[in-house]
Amino acid sequence: MARIGVYVCHCGLNIAGVVDVEKVAEYAKTLPNVATAKHYTYMCSEPGQKLVQNDIKTHKLDRIVIATCSPRMHEETFRKAVAEAGLNPYLTEIVNLREHVSWPHTHEPEKATEKAKALVRMGVARAQILEPLEKHKVTVEKKVLVVGGGIAGIQASLDLANAGFKVYLVEKSPSIGGRMAQLDKTFPTLDCSACILTPKMVDVAKNENITLHTNAEITSVNGFVGNYEVSILKKPRYIDEKKCVGCELCIKVCPVKVPDKFNENLTERRAVYIHSPHAVPKIATISPEYCLRLKLDKDVCGKCQAACEAKAVDFKQKPETVNIKVGGIIVAVGSEVFDATRMAELGYGRFKNVITNMEFERISDASGPTGGKIHNPKDGKTPKTIAFIQCVGSRDKRFHEYCCRVGCMITLKQTILAREKIHENIRIYVCYIDLRAFGKGYDEFYTRAREMDIDFIAGVPSEIHEKPDGSLYFDVYDKSTNKLVQINPDLVVLGTGLVPNRDLEKISTLLHASRSSDGFLLEAHPKLRPLESAVAGVFLAGACQGPKDIPDTVAQASGAAAKAIGLLSTGEIEIEPLKAVVDKDLCSGCRICESICPFVAIEMKTEKVKGEEKLRAEVIEAVCQGCGACSSACPTSAIKIQQYGNKQILTQVDAGLAEACAEGGK
Amino acid sequence: MSIVDLMSMTKPNLEARKKILAKLKGKELANCFQCMKCTSGCTALKLLELKPNEIVKLVNLGFVDELPNSDIIWTCVTCLKCVERCPQKASPYHIIMALRNLAVEKEAKVPEGFLKAVSQILETGLAEPPQKIVTRKMETVDRECLNLPKIRFPKESFQAALMKAMEEK
Repeated sequence: MARIGVYVCHCGLNIAGVVDVEKVAEYAKTLPNVATAKHYTYMCSEPGQKLVQNDIKTHKLDRIVIATCSPRMHEETFRKAVAEAGLNPYLTEIVNLREHVSWPHTHEPEKATEKAKALVRMGVARAQILEPLEKHKVTVEKKVLVVGGGIAGIQASLDLANAGFKVYLVEKSPSIGGRMAQLDKTFPTLDCSACILTPKMVDVAKNENITLHTNAEITSVNGFVGNYEVSILKKPRYIDEKKCVGCELCIKVCPVKVPDKFNENLTERRAVYIHSPHAVPKIATISPEYCLRLKLDKDVCGKCQAACEAKAVDFKQKPETVNIKVGGIIVAVGSEVFDATRMAELGYGRFKNVITNMEFERISDASGPTGGKIHNPKDGKTPKTIAFIQCVGSRDKRFHEYCCRVGCMITLKQTILAREKIHENIRIYVCYIDLRAFGKGYDEFYTRAREMDIDFIAGVPSEIHEKPDGSLYFDVYDKSTNKLVQINPDLVVLGTGLVPNRDLEKISTLLHASRSSDGFLLEAHPKLRPLESAVAGVFLAGACQGPKDIPDTVAQASGAAAKAIGLLSTGEIEIEPLKAVVDKDLCSGCRICESICPFVAIEMKTEKVKGEEKLRAEVIEAVCQGCGACSSACPTSAIKIQQYGNKQILTQVDAGLAEACAEGGK
Repeated sequence: MSIVDLMSMTKPNLEARKKILAKLKGKELANCFQCMKCTSGCTALKLLELKPNEIVKLVNLGFVDELPNSDIIWTCVTCLKCVERCPQKASPYHIIMALRNLAVEKEAKVPEGFLKAVSQILETGLAEPPQKIVTRKMETVDRECLNLPKIRFPKESFQAALMKAMEEK
């Protein structure tokens, strides 16, 4: 006979403000096998936990039901408390009175109390048939894979490497550095982006604990937390990495000119190229889609091969697969910039002097196409009027509903740069909806921009026109003056926002990591677990989780590294026992569970039973996340989730219906 | 008299606001964050001083009483630019149409042109009758000489059916 203790939490007024907690506790006392029932202001507080622990001893309780907030919030807290009192932690049942009762039923307290009673009744019924379970320990690889070599990936890799962990850093492009390498200055301090980034890039290359794979992608991920097996595909550079010295002789002779993506297609590069002036590793790469010899697959051109003194050019290079074993994975693939051609009314793509903020960044950069001088792309002249237009592609239900978090600050920085570089005779307008300067030192930066005689117009234009003489103009209605302002800018800079990386689709599938409705990767909890994905051992850093500026990205990257260190430092981890288990006698080997499992946690094995070979499902415990998909699909009920089998669920449903039936199904 | 003058005297009428909201079922009036995009590009702004953003905010705050009697709601030329480009899909156009309907319900003064269009539709079933036009080369042309198909007029029973449909609504 079970002895159950029921505890009803007030959660301040979150629950008690709606539900009559005293009545619920009194009701619980009338339920079968309930030895004691109490209510308390904050069950999760230390005195609340003590209350349970003392009762376990004095009342000799062997099952605990806690009616409180969502189990996602405090199930772990109460399990720990129960374990400290000497009871198996899995004999605890959480009844959700906050998210399921008091919050959705604020306006109907009486009905809410009835519902709370019913849920407690169901919880008590279920608690009686819970089974004690034990956590298992598995050993882990003390190595980490970092996907993406932008500032997030660089920071996470360096932190991990400095803590003594072996790191594999995989970057898709031929050099690390990412988006930050393209920037001129950084807000709010106007540090030169390259000056603070390049030393870190060099540190990565020099660090003995970091193995760098550039021009590479991950192609498969198997295994589970602590023991991931990852395949990395190294695309051919057609240049021997060990021989190339980065002398650029090959680039000088290459006849094929293509748009330079690093310069936002404002300039041209050659088919053989070095990714950027500060590239790490600084070695050449040949683009197979442009190189005459590789594209035509004929014995033509070959000028680079002839020019290379180090004999590094190798047209026969093949893709190479590297297999590694790691304990944890940090995803740091970053974001992309909104494609402004989609907002057709602003004329990007049609009018040459309408550019994006990334293009402005390259124009303003000393290593960019104009050597840092601000010129119009159309005629190369210095602009006399520059207009910045905010929220392009962001805060817009047609494209992306979220705020891009960086657009306002980028524009403030760029207005300051423009004012500093071409001081006299230049008008600078910023057309904005709301100006958001929320970080440390950011509002001061906004003040600095205002002091530099920048005209802020509270309103955005509907469209940009081109006059017959090729000049631009637009009307914008200023909210504060009630005036329609006509602006004739020489240069329009669009404040394009950040959008999810297109690789996220592939990466989320490979890692089984889910994405939020905005397309970015989803964190395990928006407030309490922002650095982890819901998949154990997969961590998130930087703009792949949501648009972010550099300070936030670096902070998150260091945090993710610390999380990975925390997971792997002891060399072994405990895994939850709430997993699927197979009843071998019932399993018919139909393979439905294998096909349905989203985590590839089911292996089919042949066994000999009475001389006959039989196919049977087996659960890889460490991979299984306990989602229950297999259990509901199994035609013979052979596979079930611990604590959530048919027995427990049906008992709970019966208890839920019991009173309703007694009342005549009211 | 501009709307601003009219408004400075009034108090919000939350009942009337509710009425408009009911007419705007599914239109996201409350989402307007006053980005000015509609007014910046409004075809009727430069000549007729229509400020769609102001209309949205007035309705949102409940200053609805004077709007149906005001000339301003009839200045919208229904170019639908604001519908196309509103980043919040708050669409001032739909609000202006709701106000026009309210004006007719209240039997407020409706500009002559609109009344003419209505009687035209009732009589012929067309908002505009087929007309001859003069080209840049000063030639007068009609549909026939441009080899365009003849416009079919609705049957006689159309008028009764239209009246019935309007009454039912």
